[in-house]
Amino acid sequence: MKFKHLLLGAGALLLAAQASAHNRWILPSHFSLSNDKGEWVMVDITASNETFNVDKPMGADRLKITGPDGKSIFLGSSYRGHRKSVVDIHLEKDGTYQLAMGGEPRYFTSYKRKGEDKEQWLRNANKANRKSRLPKGAHDVKTIEGSSSVLTYITLNSPSENFTATNKGLEFMPITHPSDIAQGEAAQFKFLFNGKAQSDVKVEIIREGVRYRNEQKALTLTTDSQGQIDFTLAQAGRYILMAEYEQDVSDYALADTVGGRVFLTFEAVLD
Amino acid sequence: MKKQLLLIAVLWLASSTQLFATELRLALKLPAQAGEYHNPYVAVWIEDTSGKSARTLVLWREGAKWLKDIRRWWRKVGRKDADFVDGITSATRAAGHYKLNFDALDDKGAPLANGNYILRIEVVRENGSRAMLKQPFTLNGKAQQYTLAATSETAKSIFTIKE
Repeated sequence: MKFKHLLLGAGALLLAAQASAHNRWILPSHFSLSNDKGEWVMVDITASNETFNVDKPMGADRLKITGPDGKSIFLGSSYRGHRKSVVDIHLEKDGTYQLAMGGEPRYFTSYKRKGEDKEQWLRNANKANRKSRLPKGAHDVKTIEGSSSVLTYITLNSPSENFTATNKGLEFMPITHPSDIAQGEAAQFKFLFNGKAQSDVKVEIIREGVRYRNEQKALTLTTDSQGQIDFTLAQAGRYILMAEYEQDVSDYALADTVGGRVFLTFEAVLD
Repeated sequence: MKKQLLLIAVLWLASSTQLFATELRLALKLPAQAGEYHNPYVAVWIEDTSGKSARTLVLWREGAKWLKDIRRWWRKVGRKDADFVDGITSATRAAGHYKLNFDALDDKGAPLANGNYILRIEVVRENGSRAMLKQPFTLNGKAQQYTLAATSETAKSIFTIKE
């Protein structure tokens, strides 16, 4: 896909503003394991704006696990509670496993009713089919195509580097291996949009335990011309990284704006 | 006969190099602790100044499942080579005073080149604390001695470089 890039409008990014958009995350019991007999990990999946306290369950059946050899791993037992979904996963082979949800494009159309100033939202309405669903006299109509990926990486024994891109939407690409992030050590990540290194991706990194401190203390970063962020985390702990990018396009049949979000969970280990 | 003489000469040369090689001596004190006590997991290793491990001197451990708890050693050294870990392993030890001597060799058995290094001692105790000791030193042909201050998991210990 090739889009004509227009200037991004001022104000909040649409994807985040889209009604009921919660942060989502996958939080494994362990990010790094050692064992010569395989290991079990248990994973929480939730939509929650509080890092890391669970809020709403999310379909664990949609979790995709890719093993070190690139093959899919079957889920063990899973449970959907009122606050989170839980999955058991057995890791057998040494290496790094990717746990991922989402990534498919979704369409949201925002508009205002005639004579009103309040923003309204239509789900699953794209630029081509939105007309029949919009009320008469709707104005400020705008459709966004956005994908959200929820990711984490777990390593059993030696880390492996089986990171592949689908070249669709906003994608996370490690430079520093996600299992090699430590307090006080410089780390680098990269973001791609439709397969190309993307500058101006807005990134926030937040340490766990937000409930027990007054300030969120988010580290706010923007990708450079190589699509990269450089950062050093002073404290060990579990972190959520939220990345967001969107651009207005003029020559696309399905949307006026295209973009994506990435929610990555990782740990910074003690030095 | 000639061959035998040569062999003896070679052996003598080899042993004399050993005799005069730099020696690293660590007098490590693991203090007695109150409460429920599990022997600590201990790794002692030498990194170069870029954080790359040159030599693992000590690994006192239990099953593979707990190796990850020796956080830095596991990330920097252990997880990279399972066979290597099996080769250096020994069981955990109780609180006590341990005198450990090593030739100043790297993991492959070659002498450590002159230069800057960091001695690292990581001690992790289940239901206890973790200590990460860091002692920079320079191998330069001179004898040296460092006192390693007490931590939550180690009492005052001594690191000596004997030339």
